[in-house]
Amino acid sequence: MGLQGYLVLWCGVFGTVALIGYTRSLAGMTKAQRAVRVMGRIEQVREPRHGSSGMDGIPVVVSFQDPSSGAEFTVTNDRDHGEMITAAWTGRQIGVRYPRGRPHAYRFVSDLTAGRRGLGWPNFAVFLIYVGLVVFAAIDWAWPWALIGFGGPWTVNSVWYLPQSVRAVSRRIDALTAQPPVQARVIAVLTDTDTDSEGGTYTSHTPVIAFTTHEGTPVTAYCTDDLPDPANAYGRNITIHYTPDDPAVFTPDIAAEHRSRPLDLVLGIVLLLLGVAAVVVGAVLL
Amino acid sequence: MTITTGAPPPTHNTPVALARGFLTGGVVGASLAALVVGGIIESVPLFVTGLVLPAVYGLLFFLAGVPRRVREAALVPCTALARVESVEAVGGEATSDVAVRFDLTVAPDDAPAYRVAFTQDINLADLPDYRPGGVVVVQYPPDRPWRVRIVKRPTPQWEERAAGAQLDSAPGPAMVSETPEGCAVGFVTLLALLLAAAGVVLLFRADLFDEGTSGLPPSSVQPSVSSSSSSSSSSTTVVSSASGTVALGPNQSFLDKDALRRAVRTLTKGTDTRAALTVVVQERLLSIVYAPTGSNAPTFDPESLPYDRFPALVKEARSSLGVGSPQTWQVTVERLTGSLTIRVGVTGSDGAASLEADGDGKVVRRTPAH
Repeated sequence: MGLQGYLVLWCGVFGTVALIGYTRSLAGMTKAQRAVRVMGRIEQVREPRHGSSGMDGIPVVVSFQDPSSGAEFTVTNDRDHGEMITAAWTGRQIGVRYPRGRPHAYRFVSDLTAGRRGLGWPNFAVFLIYVGLVVFAAIDWAWPWALIGFGGPWTVNSVWYLPQSVRAVSRRIDALTAQPPVQARVIAVLTDTDTDSEGGTYTSHTPVIAFTTHEGTPVTAYCTDDLPDPANAYGRNITIHYTPDDPAVFTPDIAAEHRSRPLDLVLGIVLLLLGVAAVVVGAVLL
Repeated sequence: MTITTGAPPPTHNTPVALARGFLTGGVVGASLAALVVGGIIESVPLFVTGLVLPAVYGLLFFLAGVPRRVREAALVPCTALARVESVEAVGGEATSDVAVRFDLTVAPDDAPAYRVAFTQDINLADLPDYRPGGVVVVQYPPDRPWRVRIVKRPTPQWEERAAGAQLDSAPGPAMVSETPEGCAVGFVTLLALLLAAAGVVLLFRADLFDEGTSGLPPSSVQPSVSSSSSSSSSSTTVVSSASGTVALGPNQSFLDKDALRRAVRTLTKGTDTRAALTVVVQERLLSIVYAPTGSNAPTFDPESLPYDRFPALVKEARSSLGVGSPQTWQVTVERLTGSLTIRVGVTGSDGAASLEADGDGKVVRRTPAH
């Protein structure tokens, strides 16, 4: 079997996967489409124990209602129940997803609308088909096609996301500085120790802070960024800026946010230029 | 308190487990043997089979387990209080989570209490919560009460119940969630592995022995090999050159599947050089003439020829060039003119004819009989 034969086989297999996936999505048969998605409410926030694991998220009690039966469920969170809850306050809305008829198999999700159509695998299959075509072109025609094949979508992607990223950073900083900061306290430092394949151990420290918003809402949240010496941060008082719309978005170092603004822009431009350069070099070498 | 009357955990020596072990061992043995044998005899289909077989088996295994997993997932787990009888750390000292062996008395609301032993990872900081005599909240599937898991974060309702509960110990013995693997399953798996591997080797023994016995004396089944070096030749002008000849026995032909390639491989194995001047093939005779050392004559690698195309080329020459009833044929390969040329000559009752093909076996010229 020659190279073309392998390409046909590759495209045939993943084309079939993609076709089945899109057909199932159109028919509303994917697992994601059949899942029940409801909004839950955090009823109770518990203080995490200092030194315990950070993998389970902030301990909360959540209630939600099954729309089909009308039954009310009260549940808790840990690492086996979906996304980690890293910021919590009483009354916060949080997404809950579970297979139809099985509310006991609930999973917490931060974005209820994400992945609604279950197109992840078919889209990935299409991506693999594209990769196969580019590799075939690079081997059978000329290797610069690899630069064009991968640099093109990279460039388009960068052009699409760079302005959005710049606007998002600006909006975030504007929101963080929209009102005076508040005082927070590190109420726990969560510690996780693990070993790698060579027997070495590594430890991660996750400070947990508690603060009260200007509206009087007590918030408990993981503070994973911009806090110096997190391992010894237990009991430390810090000043934080948070966004009024969503107290889960906050920073203990607003200056770092300002510093990262031009860095993000430069990084985005460099990535864009890399894509453009790949396309240009590929076209010239053809 | 009484001992539970629930069904005990299944053992691993059931007929299903034995059959699964036999199948798994067979697939592992067959795929490994296929990979090794395919690599030795250079058979791509066999090698690919060795890769695909375990993947297909894994997929089928996964699909076969879907109904059971769906059935199990649909069951709402039971929640109950349990008394900690004993706690013992059994591993994972290097990490913040340690494996802990628990012995609990589980006290369901609507069933007799029972003892169960299992292992669960617990964070070091949470370990003081699980002292002997304490009460914890547990969950288990209703159809498998031995698969108990401690709920790390119970709901407020269960926390209140656990805080005010006093539980008595149930007498043993404790159910265990991890039943030891049966010896019979391991034995059957190993047996199937060996049988499958041996089966693959036996199935391809002819090709394997071909590879390993190229220096043995000729037999009536194998091609008879005779390599003649220039030193023993009567010609003195080709002192540093070498030639190789393979003559087949009766009822064999170089047009048989893989016969030609196998013979060429046998010849090239016995010589240092692979630079051939000419390859001549007849019904039962193969001759390769190698280039003299230091020669500037255009040569080629005799192993690189499209031998799979030779039968088709001979068939075309015999049937389409008008030689009448074909009597003899000969394929001559050389590259004296620069490019590799495969010339197929046929003679028949109506004369002689030939066709020429390029290095890929594509016909480029036909010279029909006049």
